[in-house]
Amino acid sequence: MAETTFMGVPRDQIPWFPTIDYEKCTFCMECDTFCPHHVFERREDDRKLVVANPSNCVVFCRACAKTCGPDAISFPGRPETIARIKQIREGVIVK
Amino acid sequence: MKRAILSCNGLDKPEGSVAREVAIRSADAIGGEIICPVLLNRAPARYKKALSDSSLIVVDGCSTRCATKLATRLGAKVERKVLVSDAVKASGQALESTLSLEPNGLALARTIVEELIRNLNAPAVAVEAVAEFETPTEYLVVTHDKFEFRIPVVDYVFNENDVWARALDGVARVGISDFMQQKLTDISYFDPPKVESVVEQFGELGSLESAKAVFEIIAPVAGVVTAVNPAVIDNPGLINEDPYGAGWLVEVKMTAFPQDEELLLDPATYAEIIKRKAAEE
Repeated sequence: MAETTFMGVPRDQIPWFPTIDYEKCTFCMECDTFCPHHVFERREDDRKLVVANPSNCVVFCRACAKTCGPDAISFPGRPETIARIKQIREGVIVK
Repeated sequence: MKRAILSCNGLDKPEGSVAREVAIRSADAIGGEIICPVLLNRAPARYKKALSDSSLIVVDGCSTRCATKLATRLGAKVERKVLVSDAVKASGQALESTLSLEPNGLALARTIVEELIRNLNAPAVAVEAVAEFETPTEYLVVTHDKFEFRIPVVDYVFNENDVWARALDGVARVGISDFMQQKLTDISYFDPPKVESVVEQFGELGSLESAKAVFEIIAPVAGVVTAVNPAVIDNPGLINEDPYGAGWLVEVKMTAFPQDEELLLDPATYAEIIKRKAAEE
Protein backbone atom coordinates (compact mmCIF):
# COMPACT_ATOMS: atom_id res chain seq x y z
CA MET A 1 0.00 0.00 0.00
CA ALA A 2 1.26 3.47 -0.87
CA GLU A 3 2.43 5.63 2.00
CA THR A 4 -0.17 8.17 3.12
CA THR A 5 0.81 11.75 2.50
CA PHE A 6 -0.62 15.18 3.21
CA MET A 7 0.46 18.02 0.92
CA GLY A 8 3.13 15.72 -0.41
CA VAL A 9 4.60 15.10 3.05
CA PRO A 10 4.48 11.64 4.68
CA ARG A 11 1.59 11.81 7.13
CA ASP A 12 3.62 10.42 10.02
CA GLN A 13 6.03 13.36 9.70
CA ILE A 14 3.25 15.82 10.57
CA PRO A 15 2.63 16.03 14.32
CA TRP A 16 -1.09 16.81 14.06
CA PHE A 17 -3.31 14.70 16.30
CA PRO A 18 -5.39 15.16 19.47
CA THR A 19 -3.89 15.00 22.95
CA ILE A 20 -6.16 13.91 25.79
CA ASP A 21 -5.87 15.66 29.15
CA TYR A 22 -6.62 12.77 31.48
CA GLU A 23 -7.16 15.18 34.38
CA LYS A 24 -10.21 16.51 32.55
CA CYS A 25 -11.41 13.52 30.49
CA THR A 26 -14.60 11.90 31.82
CA PHE A 27 -14.44 9.01 29.31
CA CYS A 28 -17.83 9.91 27.90
CA MET A 29 -16.46 8.65 24.53
CA GLU A 30 -18.19 11.43 22.56
CA CYS A 31 -14.97 12.07 20.59
CA ASP A 32 -14.54 8.41 19.71
CA THR A 33 -18.17 8.11 18.71
CA PHE A 34 -17.83 11.20 16.55
CA CYS A 35 -14.49 10.54 14.78
CA PRO A 36 -14.99 8.50 11.60
CA HIS A 37 -11.24 7.94 11.18
CA HIS A 38 -10.65 5.66 14.19
CA VAL A 39 -8.05 7.95 15.74
CA PHE A 40 -9.15 6.92 19.23
CA GLU A 41 -9.37 3.46 20.72
CA ARG A 42 -11.18 2.26 23.82
CA ARG A 43 -9.17 0.18 26.28
CA GLU A 44 -10.04 -2.01 29.21
CA ASP A 45 -7.34 -0.60 31.52
CA ASP A 46 -7.19 2.66 33.56
CA ARG A 47 -6.82 4.78 30.45
CA LYS A 48 -10.08 3.77 28.92
CA LEU A 49 -9.46 5.90 25.85
CA VAL A 50 -6.20 6.49 23.97
CA VAL A 51 -5.03 8.19 20.77
CA ALA A 52 -4.14 4.92 19.09
CA ASN A 53 -3.91 5.98 15.44
CA PRO A 54 -2.55 9.55 15.32
CA SER A 55 -1.72 9.33 11.61
CA ASN A 56 -5.39 8.72 10.81
CA CYS A 57 -6.22 12.20 12.08
CA VAL A 58 -7.16 14.65 9.32
CA VAL A 59 -4.52 17.38 9.37
CA PHE A 60 -6.05 20.71 10.51
CA CYS A 61 -9.33 19.09 11.63
CA ARG A 62 -10.20 19.77 15.28
CA ALA A 63 -13.80 18.71 15.16
CA CYS A 64 -13.48 16.06 17.91
CA ALA A 65 -12.38 18.76 20.37
CA LYS A 66 -15.66 20.52 19.68
CA THR A 67 -17.61 17.50 20.86
CA CYS A 68 -15.71 17.44 24.15
CA GLY A 69 -17.85 18.76 27.01
CA PRO A 70 -15.02 18.90 29.60
CA ASP A 71 -12.62 20.52 27.06
CA ALA A 72 -10.04 17.74 27.48
CA ILE A 73 -8.74 17.58 23.89
CA SER A 74 -6.02 19.84 22.51
CA PHE A 75 -4.20 20.15 19.19
CA PRO A 76 -0.94 21.77 18.07
CA GLY A 77 -1.09 25.27 16.60
CA ARG A 78 -1.96 25.53 12.91
CA PRO A 79 0.81 28.04 12.06
CA GLU A 80 3.55 25.76 13.51
CA THR A 81 2.14 22.82 11.64
CA ILE A 82 2.07 24.71 8.35
CA ALA A 83 5.63 25.88 8.96
CA ARG A 84 6.75 22.29 9.54
CA ILE A 85 4.99 21.05 6.40
CA LYS A 86 6.65 23.80 4.35
CA GLN A 87 10.06 23.00 5.83
CA ILE A 88 9.75 19.33 4.97
CA ARG A 89 8.56 20.18 1.46
CA GLU A 90 11.51 22.49 0.97
CA GLY A 91 13.93 19.91 2.32
CA VAL A 92 14.91 22.07 5.33
CA ILE A 93 14.03 19.15 7.59
CA VAL A 94 15.56 15.94 6.33
CA LYS A 95 13.21 13.02 6.78
CA MET B 1 -41.94 32.41 10.86
CA LYS B 2 -42.37 31.84 14.58
CA ARG B 3 -39.40 30.98 16.74
CA ALA B 4 -38.96 28.34 19.41
CA ILE B 5 -36.11 27.83 21.83
CA LEU B 6 -34.49 24.49 22.53
CA SER B 7 -31.95 24.62 25.30
CA CYS B 8 -29.63 22.46 27.32
CA ASN B 9 -31.48 21.60 30.51
CA GLY B 10 -28.67 22.97 32.59
CA LEU B 11 -28.88 20.94 35.74
CA ASP B 12 -25.39 19.57 36.23
CA LYS B 13 -22.96 22.26 35.04
CA PRO B 14 -22.61 26.02 35.57
CA GLU B 15 -22.63 26.51 31.77
CA GLY B 16 -25.94 24.66 31.71
CA SER B 17 -27.43 27.04 34.25
CA VAL B 18 -26.44 29.93 32.00
CA ALA B 19 -27.93 28.14 28.97
CA ARG B 20 -31.20 27.71 30.80
CA GLU B 21 -31.24 31.40 31.76
CA VAL B 22 -30.48 32.39 28.16
CA ALA B 23 -33.42 30.29 26.97
CA ILE B 24 -35.86 31.85 29.44
CA ARG B 25 -34.74 35.40 28.75
CA SER B 26 -34.74 34.88 24.98
CA ALA B 27 -38.24 33.45 25.07
CA ASP B 28 -39.42 36.49 27.03
CA ALA B 29 -37.72 38.87 24.61
CA ILE B 30 -38.97 37.35 21.35
CA GLY B 31 -42.18 35.68 22.51
CA GLY B 32 -40.99 32.23 21.44
CA GLU B 33 -42.05 28.89 22.85
CA ILE B 34 -39.60 27.03 25.06
CA ILE B 35 -39.14 23.37 24.18
CA CYS B 36 -38.16 21.08 27.04
CA PRO B 37 -35.34 18.84 25.79
CA VAL B 38 -36.23 16.00 28.14
CA LEU B 39 -39.87 15.92 27.05
CA LEU B 40 -38.87 16.37 23.41
CA ASN B 41 -36.58 13.38 23.69
CA ARG B 42 -39.21 11.32 25.48
CA ALA B 43 -42.26 12.32 23.44
CA PRO B 44 -41.38 14.24 20.25
CA ALA B 45 -45.04 14.30 19.18
CA ARG B 46 -45.72 16.83 21.93
CA TYR B 47 -43.70 19.42 20.02
CA LYS B 48 -44.49 18.35 16.48
CA LYS B 49 -46.42 21.54 15.72
CA ALA B 50 -43.85 23.83 17.30
CA LEU B 51 -41.06 22.19 15.32
CA SER B 52 -42.89 22.38 12.00
CA ASP B 53 -44.15 25.96 12.48
CA SER B 54 -41.03 27.51 14.00
CA SER B 55 -37.39 28.03 13.36
CA LEU B 56 -35.28 27.00 16.31
CA ILE B 57 -32.85 28.87 18.46
CA VAL B 58 -30.64 26.19 19.99
CA VAL B 59 -28.76 26.92 23.21
CA ASP B 60 -26.06 24.47 24.28
CA GLY B 61 -24.23 24.72 27.59
CA CYS B 62 -21.08 22.74 26.80
CA SER B 63 -19.49 21.09 23.77
CA THR B 64 -21.39 17.87 24.30
CA ARG B 65 -24.11 19.88 22.54
CA CYS B 66 -27.05 17.75 23.61
CA ALA B 67 -29.60 20.29 22.36
CA THR B 68 -27.96 20.50 18.93
CA LYS B 69 -27.85 16.73 18.60
CA LEU B 70 -31.50 16.47 19.54
CA ALA B 71 -32.45 19.11 16.96
CA THR B 72 -30.38 17.39 14.26
CA ARG B 73 -31.85 13.99 15.02
CA LEU B 74 -35.37 15.35 14.67
CA GLY B 75 -34.56 17.26 11.48
CA ALA B 76 -35.58 20.62 12.96
CA LYS B 77 -34.84 23.86 11.12
CA VAL B 78 -32.18 25.64 13.15
CA GLU B 79 -31.94 29.40 12.74
CA ARG B 80 -29.32 30.28 15.34
CA LYS B 81 -27.11 28.53 17.81
CA VAL B 82 -25.50 29.60 21.03
CA LEU B 83 -22.73 27.68 22.79
CA VAL B 84 -22.27 28.99 26.33
CA SER B 85 -18.82 27.44 26.89
CA ASP B 86 -17.52 29.37 23.85
CA ALA B 87 -19.14 32.56 25.15
CA VAL B 88 -17.39 32.02 28.50
CA LYS B 89 -14.02 31.78 26.74
CA ALA B 90 -14.76 34.84 24.59
CA SER B 91 -15.78 36.87 27.64
CA GLY B 92 -12.47 36.22 29.41
CA GLN B 93 -14.40 35.99 32.68
CA ALA B 94 -14.65 32.67 34.51
CA LEU B 95 -18.05 31.42 35.62
CA GLU B 96 -18.70 30.72 39.26
CA SER B 97 -18.48 27.00 40.00
CA THR B 98 -21.92 26.84 41.58
CA LEU B 99 -24.94 25.45 39.79
CA SER B 100 -27.19 28.29 40.87
CA LEU B 101 -26.64 31.47 38.92
CA GLU B 102 -24.26 33.99 40.49
CA PRO B 103 -23.35 37.49 39.21
CA ASN B 104 -20.88 36.41 36.50
CA GLY B 105 -23.22 33.78 35.09
CA LEU B 106 -26.15 36.15 35.13
CA ALA B 107 -24.16 38.92 33.45
CA LEU B 108 -23.02 36.49 30.75
CA ALA B 109 -26.59 35.30 30.15
CA ARG B 110 -27.71 38.92 29.70
CA THR B 111 -24.87 39.60 27.26
CA ILE B 112 -25.58 36.47 25.23
CA VAL B 113 -29.28 37.32 24.95
CA GLU B 114 -28.56 40.91 23.94
CA GLU B 115 -26.24 39.74 21.16
CA LEU B 116 -28.68 37.06 20.06
CA ILE B 117 -31.54 39.53 19.77
CA ARG B 118 -29.32 42.01 17.94
CA ASN B 119 -28.30 39.33 15.44
CA LEU B 120 -31.86 38.15 14.94
CA ASN B 121 -32.99 41.69 14.20
CA ALA B 122 -30.07 42.51 11.91
CA PRO B 123 -28.34 39.39 10.61
CA ALA B 124 -24.56 39.68 10.86
CA VAL B 125 -24.20 38.50 7.30
CA ALA B 126 -23.02 40.67 4.47
CA VAL B 127 -25.55 40.14 1.72
CA GLU B 128 -23.43 41.81 -0.92
CA ALA B 129 -21.26 39.30 -2.68
CA VAL B 130 -18.36 41.13 -4.28
CA ALA B 131 -17.41 38.73 -6.99
CA GLU B 132 -19.36 37.79 -10.10
CA PHE B 133 -18.77 34.16 -10.99
CA GLU B 134 -20.21 32.00 -13.68
CA THR B 135 -21.21 28.45 -12.78
CA PRO B 136 -18.67 25.93 -14.10
CA THR B 137 -19.73 23.88 -17.08
CA GLU B 138 -16.95 21.37 -17.55
CA TYR B 139 -15.94 18.80 -14.93
CA LEU B 140 -13.45 16.06 -14.26
CA VAL B 141 -15.36 13.09 -12.89
CA VAL B 142 -13.92 10.61 -10.39
CA THR B 143 -16.00 7.46 -10.07
CA HIS B 144 -15.94 5.05 -7.17
CA ASP B 145 -18.48 2.23 -6.95
CA LYS B 146 -21.82 3.83 -7.72
CA PHE B 147 -20.60 7.33 -6.78
CA GLU B 148 -19.45 10.11 -9.08
CA PHE B 149 -17.49 13.07 -7.76
CA ARG B 150 -17.25 16.16 -9.95
CA ILE B 151 -14.36 18.62 -10.02
CA PRO B 152 -14.50 21.75 -12.20
CA VAL B 153 -11.77 21.67 -14.85
CA VAL B 154 -10.79 25.34 -14.68
CA ASP B 155 -10.68 28.30 -12.23
CA TYR B 156 -10.97 26.26 -9.01
CA VAL B 157 -8.14 25.34 -6.64
CA PHE B 158 -8.44 23.03 -3.64
CA ASN B 159 -6.84 22.22 -0.33
CA GLU B 160 -6.54 18.65 0.88
CA ASN B 161 -9.31 19.36 3.36
CA ASP B 162 -11.83 19.31 0.49
CA VAL B 163 -12.41 23.05 0.34
CA TRP B 164 -12.24 24.99 -2.91
CA ALA B 165 -11.36 28.60 -3.72
CA ARG B 166 -12.09 30.54 -6.87
CA ALA B 167 -10.25 33.82 -7.13
CA LEU B 168 -11.21 36.98 -8.98
CA ASP B 169 -9.84 40.51 -8.50
CA GLY B 170 -8.30 39.78 -5.11
CA VAL B 171 -11.40 38.07 -3.72
CA ALA B 172 -11.78 34.32 -3.33
CA ARG B 173 -15.13 32.64 -3.18
CA VAL B 174 -14.93 29.50 -1.01
CA GLY B 175 -17.00 26.33 -0.77
CA ILE B 176 -16.70 22.58 -0.29
CA SER B 177 -16.14 19.99 -2.98
CA ASP B 178 -18.71 17.65 -4.45
CA PHE B 179 -16.84 14.77 -2.79
CA MET B 180 -17.21 16.31 0.67
CA GLN B 181 -20.88 17.24 0.28
CA GLN B 182 -21.65 13.66 -0.70
CA LYS B 183 -19.63 12.36 2.22
CA LEU B 184 -21.50 14.59 4.69
CA THR B 185 -24.90 13.76 3.13
CA ASP B 186 -27.74 16.21 3.85
CA ILE B 187 -26.23 19.34 5.37
CA SER B 188 -28.54 20.82 7.98
CA TYR B 189 -26.62 23.79 9.39
CA PHE B 190 -23.95 26.26 8.35
CA ASP B 191 -22.25 28.04 11.22
CA PRO B 192 -20.56 30.92 9.36
CA PRO B 193 -17.47 32.88 10.31
CA LYS B 194 -17.99 36.50 11.34
CA VAL B 195 -17.87 38.99 8.49
CA GLU B 196 -14.70 41.09 8.76
CA SER B 197 -12.93 38.37 10.74
CA VAL B 198 -9.35 37.65 9.75
CA VAL B 199 -8.41 34.11 8.78
CA GLU B 200 -5.05 32.47 8.13
CA GLN B 201 -4.53 29.88 5.43
CA PHE B 202 -5.73 26.58 6.94
CA GLY B 203 -7.52 28.48 9.70
CA GLU B 204 -11.21 27.91 10.27
CA LEU B 205 -14.04 29.42 8.22
CA GLY B 206 -16.95 28.16 10.31
CA SER B 207 -18.39 24.67 10.16
CA LEU B 208 -21.08 22.54 8.55
CA GLU B 209 -23.27 19.96 10.21
CA SER B 210 -25.20 17.01 8.93
CA ALA B 211 -26.76 14.11 10.80
CA LYS B 212 -23.56 12.23 9.97
CA ALA B 213 -20.78 14.63 10.90
CA VAL B 214 -19.49 18.06 11.82
CA PHE B 215 -17.10 19.46 9.22
CA GLU B 216 -14.71 22.32 9.91
CA ILE B 217 -14.28 24.52 6.86
CA ILE B 218 -10.51 24.88 6.52
CA ALA B 219 -9.58 28.11 4.75
CA PRO B 220 -7.75 27.57 1.45
CA VAL B 221 -6.48 31.17 1.48
CA ALA B 222 -5.61 33.79 4.06
CA GLY B 223 -7.60 37.01 4.20
CA VAL B 224 -10.57 38.89 5.59
CA VAL B 225 -14.09 37.50 5.39
CA THR B 226 -16.12 39.93 3.28
CA ALA B 227 -19.33 38.00 2.66
CA VAL B 228 -21.30 34.99 3.79
CA ASN B 229 -23.80 33.42 1.41
CA PRO B 230 -27.23 34.29 2.86
CA ALA B 231 -28.97 31.73 0.64
CA VAL B 232 -26.98 28.93 2.26
CA ILE B 233 -27.75 30.21 5.76
CA ASP B 234 -31.46 29.97 4.90
CA ASN B 235 -31.15 26.70 3.03
CA PRO B 236 -27.99 24.64 3.73
CA GLY B 237 -29.31 22.01 1.30
CA LEU B 238 -28.03 24.27 -1.51
CA ILE B 239 -24.53 23.03 -0.68
CA ASN B 240 -25.61 19.51 -1.55
CA GLU B 241 -27.47 20.62 -4.65
CA ASP B 242 -24.82 22.89 -6.17
CA PRO B 243 -21.52 22.84 -4.22
CA TYR B 244 -19.54 24.80 -6.82
CA GLY B 245 -22.24 27.34 -7.69
CA ALA B 246 -25.20 28.51 -5.60
CA GLY B 247 -23.90 26.55 -2.61
CA TRP B 248 -20.80 28.69 -2.10
CA LEU B 249 -20.12 29.58 1.54
CA VAL B 250 -18.04 32.70 2.02
CA GLU B 251 -15.93 35.27 0.22
CA VAL B 252 -12.50 36.24 1.46
CA LYS B 253 -10.47 39.32 0.46
CA MET B 254 -7.12 37.67 0.01
CA THR B 255 -4.04 38.96 1.78
CA ALA B 256 -1.42 36.37 0.77
CA PHE B 257 -2.17 35.36 -2.76
CA PRO B 258 -0.56 33.97 -4.90
CA GLN B 259 1.85 32.76 -2.15
CA ASP B 260 -0.99 30.67 -0.70
CA GLU B 261 -1.20 28.79 -3.98
CA GLU B 262 1.97 26.92 -3.11
CA LEU B 263 -0.02 24.70 -0.75
CA LEU B 264 -3.11 24.34 -2.95
CA LEU B 265 -3.99 21.73 -5.55
CA ASP B 266 -5.08 22.07 -9.15
CA PRO B 267 -8.18 20.09 -10.24
CA ALA B 268 -6.21 17.15 -11.68
CA THR B 269 -4.13 16.74 -8.51
CA TYR B 270 -7.23 17.05 -6.34
CA ALA B 271 -8.86 14.33 -8.46
CA GLU B 272 -6.00 12.00 -7.51
CA ILE B 273 -6.53 12.83 -3.81
CA ILE B 274 -10.24 12.06 -4.16
CA LYS B 275 -9.48 8.71 -5.74
CA ARG B 276 -7.29 7.83 -2.77
CA LYS B 277 -9.78 9.07 -0.17
CA ALA B 278 -12.70 7.27 -1.81
CA ALA B 279 -10.70 4.03 -1.88
CA GLU B 280 -9.90 4.41 1.83
CA GLU B 281 -13.53 4.94 2.85
